[in-house]
Amino acid sequence: MEPAEVEFLAEKELVTIVPNFSLDRIHLIGGDLGPFNPGLPVEVPVWLAINLKQRQKCRLIPPEWMDVGKLEEIRDQERKEDTFTPMPSPYYMELTKLLLNYASDNIPRADEIRTLVKDTWDTRMAKLRLSADSFVRQQEAHAKLDNLTLMEINTAGTFLTQALDHMYKLRTNLQPGESSHSQDF
Amino acid sequence: MAEAYFPVGPGLGMEENFLSLDDILMSQEKLPGRAESALPRLAVLLGQGGGSAESVPEGSKLEIPLWLAKGLHDSKRRIISVELPKIYKEAWRTVFSADANVVDLHKMGPYYYGFGSQLLNFEHPENPEIAQTILQARGGSVLPVNDPVCSPQTFIARFRRIMDSSQNSYNEDTSALVARLDELERALFQVGQKGLNDFQCWEKGQASQITASSLVQNYGKRKLTEVDG
Repeated sequence: MEPAEVEFLAEKELVTIVPNFSLDRIHLIGGDLGPFNPGLPVEVPVWLAINLKQRQKCRLIPPEWMDVGKLEEIRDQERKEDTFTPMPSPYYMELTKLLLNYASDNIPRADEIRTLVKDTWDTRMAKLRLSADSFVRQQEAHAKLDNLTLMEINTAGTFLTQALDHMYKLRTNLQPGESSHSQDF
Repeated sequence: MAEAYFPVGPGLGMEENFLSLDDILMSQEKLPGRAESALPRLAVLLGQGGGSAESVPEGSKLEIPLWLAKGLHDSKRRIISVELPKIYKEAWRTVFSADANVVDLHKMGPYYYGFGSQLLNFEHPENPEIAQTILQARGGSVLPVNDPVCSPQTFIARFRRIMDSSQNSYNEDTSALVARLDELERALFQVGQKGLNDFQCWEKGQASQITASSLVQNYGKRKLTEVDG
C-alpha cells in the first residue's frame, strides 16, 4: 500500500469547519452532509474540508488534539512507555500533513505542532524497529502490537514481512528430509 | 504501479526455483571438489587445460559450478565428491558466531545464504550446523548454542544492521553500507529504502505531483526549444 492510499483512507475522517456560504443538506452516497449555514460550525469529511478551504469557502477548526500542550503530553508519554500509546486519531500523521499544508493559517503555532508530531512519529518508528529486532532475534512465533497506525505499519511492513520470509526459508533448512517434490510452476 | 515484469524469487530452502534469475546466478558459483573416477575427454571442459582429448585423471582437484555438482552428485556412482567451501567450514563459522556484522558477505560469495542452503543437498555431517549458522548470523540470537554455529545465526545477527541502515539513510550515498551485504540482503535493503523513500516523497507532497514517466523520457524526443532554429 502506498502512502498516498493511506492518505486517501484518512480523508474520510471528520473535521469541523465554519462555512461562509449556505447550502441545504446534500445527500451523498456515503451519507448526508450539512445543512451549511454561514458562521455555524458543521462536521464534514476532510476531503470536503480541504476542497472548500482551497476555494476559500470555509475556515477550518483544528481538531482538539492538535494543540501544543496536548501533543507535548503525548510525545512525553510515548518516550516514557515501552509499548505504544493510543494515538488521538488513527490517522494523526496524515491529518497533520493535510491540515498544516492547506490550512495553516487557521491553526495556531503550526510549526511547533509539526515538530511535535514528527518527534512522536520518530519515537514510535524507533520502538517498532526495536520490537521487530527482538522478535527476529528470539525467533518468536507471533507478536502483538497495539495502537499502531496504518501509516506506520505501511512504512515498516514490507521490509519486515520479507525478512521474516527469508528467515522462514532458512529455517526450513534445519529440517532435513522434508524435501517437497512439488513445483509451483 | 503495475509492473510489466514480475521477478520470480529464489527458491525455498534446499529447493531452487527453476525460473528465478537469482537462483540461476547463484548456482554458477563454484565449489571445490575431487574427481572420484577418471573423466575421459573432459579436461578442457573442466578447465584443466591441455588438448581436446585429454581425460581428467582420478583424484584430481576441480572447481565445479554448483549446477554441475548437483547433477553429478550421486552416492552410488562415485563420479565426483564435493567439499565445503572454506567460508562454510568450522573456522569461519566461529567468526560468524563471534560477530556476524563485521564480515564482508559480498566478498565471501555474493550468494552466501542461497548457496549455503543448496550445500545442504549434499549429505555432509556438518549440515545441521551450517544451517543454524546461516540463520543465526542473519539475526543474532540469544539462544544458547552449544553446537558450533549455523546459518540462520548469520541472518539474525545482521538483520538489525540492515533494518536500521535501510530505514534511516535517506538520499545519502549508501554504497558503503551495501558493499558488505550479499545479494539476498541487498534485496531486503532495497525494500527498506523504498518504504522510506515512498514515505518521504509523500510527506513532501510529491506523491500527488504528475511527473513524466521514465519510459517517455527515454524516447529521447527533441524538446520544443530545439526544434526552432
